[in-house]
Amino acid sequence: MISMVLALIAIWIGLELATSGLFLSARNLYNLSIQTSAIAVVSCGMVFVIVARQIDLSVGSLLAFTGVLTAFAQVRWFEGMASATWMLSIVVGLAAGVVVGLFQGWWVAYRGIPALVVTLAGFLMYRGAAFLIAQGQTIAPLDETYQRLGGGAAGSIGVAASWVIGAAGCTWLGWYVWNTRRERAKYTADQTPVWLDVIKVIVGVAAIAGFVAVMASYPDRSQADDDGNAPGMGIGVPVLILIGVVVVLSFLAHRTRFGRYVFAYGGNPESAVLAGINTRFVLVKIFVMMGILSTVAAVITTARLNAGANSIGQLTELYAISAAVIGGTSLAGGVGSVPGAVVGALVIQSLDNGMVLLDIGSAQRQIIIGLVLIAAVWFDVVYTKRQSR
Amino acid sequence: MTQPIVEMIGMHKHFGAVRAVDDVSCDLRPGEVVGLLGHNGAGKTTLIKILAGVYAQDGGTIKVRGQPVAFASPRDAQRAGIETIYQHLALADNIDAAGNLFLGRELLTRWGTLDTHRMAHEAGKIIRRINPSFTQTHLPVRALSGGQRQTVAIARALYFDAKILIMDEPTAALGPGETKMVKDIIRGLKQDGIGIYLVSHEMRDVFDVCDRLVVLKNGKLVGTAKVSEVTEDDVLGMIILGKSPVPRAATGATPA
Amino acid sequence: MRISRGWTQLVIILGLLCAGTTVFAQTVGVSWSNFQEERWKRDEAAMKAAIEKAGGKYISADAQGSNEKQVADIENLITRGAKVLIVLAWDADAVLPAVRNAKTEHIPIIAYDRLIQDKDVFYLTFDNVEVGRMQAQGVLAKKPAGNYVFIKGSPTDPNADFLHKGQLEVLAAAIKGGKIKVVGEQYTEGWAPEVAQRNMEQILTKANNKVDAVVASNDGTAGGVVAALRAQNLVGIPVSGQDGDIAALNRVALGEQTVSVFKDARKLGETAGTVAVQLAKGKKSKDIAGTVTWSDGTKKIPMTSLFLKPVPVTSENLDYVISASWATKDQVCKGVAAAKAPKACK
Repeated sequence: MISMVLALIAIWIGLELATSGLFLSARNLYNLSIQTSAIAVVSCGMVFVIVARQIDLSVGSLLAFTGVLTAFAQVRWFEGMASATWMLSIVVGLAAGVVVGLFQGWWVAYRGIPALVVTLAGFLMYRGAAFLIAQGQTIAPLDETYQRLGGGAAGSIGVAASWVIGAAGCTWLGWYVWNTRRERAKYTADQTPVWLDVIKVIVGVAAIAGFVAVMASYPDRSQADDDGNAPGMGIGVPVLILIGVVVVLSFLAHRTRFGRYVFAYGGNPESAVLAGINTRFVLVKIFVMMGILSTVAAVITTARLNAGANSIGQLTELYAISAAVIGGTSLAGGVGSVPGAVVGALVIQSLDNGMVLLDIGSAQRQIIIGLVLIAAVWFDVVYTKRQSR
Repeated sequence: MTQPIVEMIGMHKHFGAVRAVDDVSCDLRPGEVVGLLGHNGAGKTTLIKILAGVYAQDGGTIKVRGQPVAFASPRDAQRAGIETIYQHLALADNIDAAGNLFLGRELLTRWGTLDTHRMAHEAGKIIRRINPSFTQTHLPVRALSGGQRQTVAIARALYFDAKILIMDEPTAALGPGETKMVKDIIRGLKQDGIGIYLVSHEMRDVFDVCDRLVVLKNGKLVGTAKVSEVTEDDVLGMIILGKSPVPRAATGATPA
Repeated sequence: MRISRGWTQLVIILGLLCAGTTVFAQTVGVSWSNFQEERWKRDEAAMKAAIEKAGGKYISADAQGSNEKQVADIENLITRGAKVLIVLAWDADAVLPAVRNAKTEHIPIIAYDRLIQDKDVFYLTFDNVEVGRMQAQGVLAKKPAGNYVFIKGSPTDPNADFLHKGQLEVLAAAIKGGKIKVVGEQYTEGWAPEVAQRNMEQILTKANNKVDAVVASNDGTAGGVVAALRAQNLVGIPVSGQDGDIAALNRVALGEQTVSVFKDARKLGETAGTVAVQLAKGKKSKDIAGTVTWSDGTKKIPMTSLFLKPVPVTSENLDYVISASWATKDQVCKGVAAAKAPKACK
């Protein structure tokens, strides 16, 4: 994954120079973080899918379906009933995501239909279903508080809370490194050198602090006083949601039996079955997880757009797969990284974001993104080969 | 004669029209190594998979320590003290030795998360007992040699206190040094009173470590014999021609 | 025997008549490009009603945004007996092979709303250049000078360029004279609001929020633009659109969007249905009332065309859409504060 982070930094430096300092401005970095969130959420889940030797092509259409459903519930069913009914609408959307996940998971795990076929059918079906919910109408506007989940005006958590999160992140990093040393010492004499661990902590803390500082330095225009001074935005709500997703999914991947079984199944499906693992149930859980994450991404997207439109989420599945693969997930299964998928999503979105700043037209942008994708993965393959020699 | 630890009586298994196992009976005593021989498709793998709980038999009884048992899954067989080392080892290449050893039976912390460090420690202990030179236990299994992988698979069986071991072609992919290591391990296990079913094509290995052998052909039992009472040629005749062996002691003929 | 022969003849004649009426019912085949967008349902309803009123039969297919599928759909409609085709092209050039195919079978084709450049195709649309002009006029009236942004339509849709052409016609003088400066211009793939939102965010960053007006080419993209403006506290600057989407009409009432050029899809559908049945019955294109010969496409091919007039809907004339039963007062006026309410919402 180091190679991918290096590639990302190279892209950022390139864009910063080309845009004469506009790309790495606080404002653009804040926008970039929001623009990346929804796809990154889905990409993290796609890691599990690909690790388990499956694929999910239905994500974008499911995003549209759950998004329109959530908006519809919010505006047509629950409006005026009580305050904070937007939360209930999200529950409705999540329930739909879970049901679809169970449906797809059941066909794959218990009926043995290849995931490619099941989710391809989903790709066709759910967007049609999204259209039918409101007869094709775009449902807008949405609840004021709900909109804050989209990261626009009033869509961030403020400077103080951001620093709290940053501090929590740094504390966790320090504890994690220290605890790993302690656990290893209990059992073996083999230890990573102290200086290496110290550098890890320093770099990590610097990255976290830098991120929070940049987010905090972007002024919140909706709270500007008469002189134009404004407090900083802080971390956007979608980014907070993404951080939560990354934490939960990383925990699942490395610290729970479910994660272990996903990787084992991906590495050698027969070995998982022979070890007595209920592999079919594991597969269902993966697709249910994707259903939930699609809904989370749909909430971010509709809140941001302030509309439930059935055209949202187009191409999301392809970007999610690309992001996961760029981030180090192998299409052969068994190998994958959740934080890597976030880096992959950032690579893709940074390119698009930077190129619009450079007034590059849509056709040229698509070609360039495709080429850079190939180059990025090739770079990673070469780097990994060199490492394993 | 000691009580058999495993009795397979009249085992039947068919897949569609194919009779993979047709009325096969076979016992195993503690501290005994029984070789299972036969051509590909003779039914050896199916038979051991039935004992391992992967398949359910269509007919016949299995008794473990004199009690009839019915295995609904590999986990049931493991609980009965049966551990299997498959021909392709059933190891997940992308996971390390400890992860594979505990696959499906992970050790958990008191919060229900994986106790990776304790598992690494326990795995390391037992692996070093079998193969003291194997120290890189944190590497993913794909980075290990054939013999080291075999060690992990055997360690998995031993850790969970198997009293009955099934080994499917354990030396097939190994060089001479590692083959010797595995055979020494098998002899050590015999000493510990563990009963072993050994499926093998290597006649040398069978005659080296087995006490008895059983030959299957086309799903049927050709015959059983004590290794000390037959020659390699006799055994080949059983495998290829389905000829029942004539015990030397009965005919009084001198061994070839 | 005489009686039964008589009955037999009667049965045969009745049978022929029945067969004849089905043959005589004009089958109109409609090839939709992508039924999922909001407005086409209304087009379809009006089209179907007009076809059936004229004694015809309506069959259709949805290409779901795929060129290959649309070509296959058209062939399929012909096989199913269509005597005339109404085609809403997904891509004007990619659909030409199917069009040529239909011509060899002497099946007249109506290009519905989107141009298909072929001399024998009947082009029925709202004057999209006029739509573009109305969009620009609506914005120009509110902000005659300043920094402008163009959020255009899909790069594969010829309508996007017609709209932009009309917009430029109105704004050319001011741009040339320096009163208007174009600080951002981007196509929007698939007309997707999400894409418009992202592009607008980047343009705002580049221009450091110094944007005074946005000429957006439809209501979906206008929604994305307004969302981007909201994040920067810039809602209220003039924004244009088209289609008369309920959400957009609401935005006009709230003052967040300046104009939504309304093309009564029902009128377009109705006209298409009526003209289609006439063409199927053998009437010549040029003989249909209201047609003109138009050759302003990129290939300059002269085509028989019928243009309907769009209506620009601003806060001044919102009651037009309400009285035309296109939208209800509740839908249009949702959330409008009494103090700032436009006439139609009071």
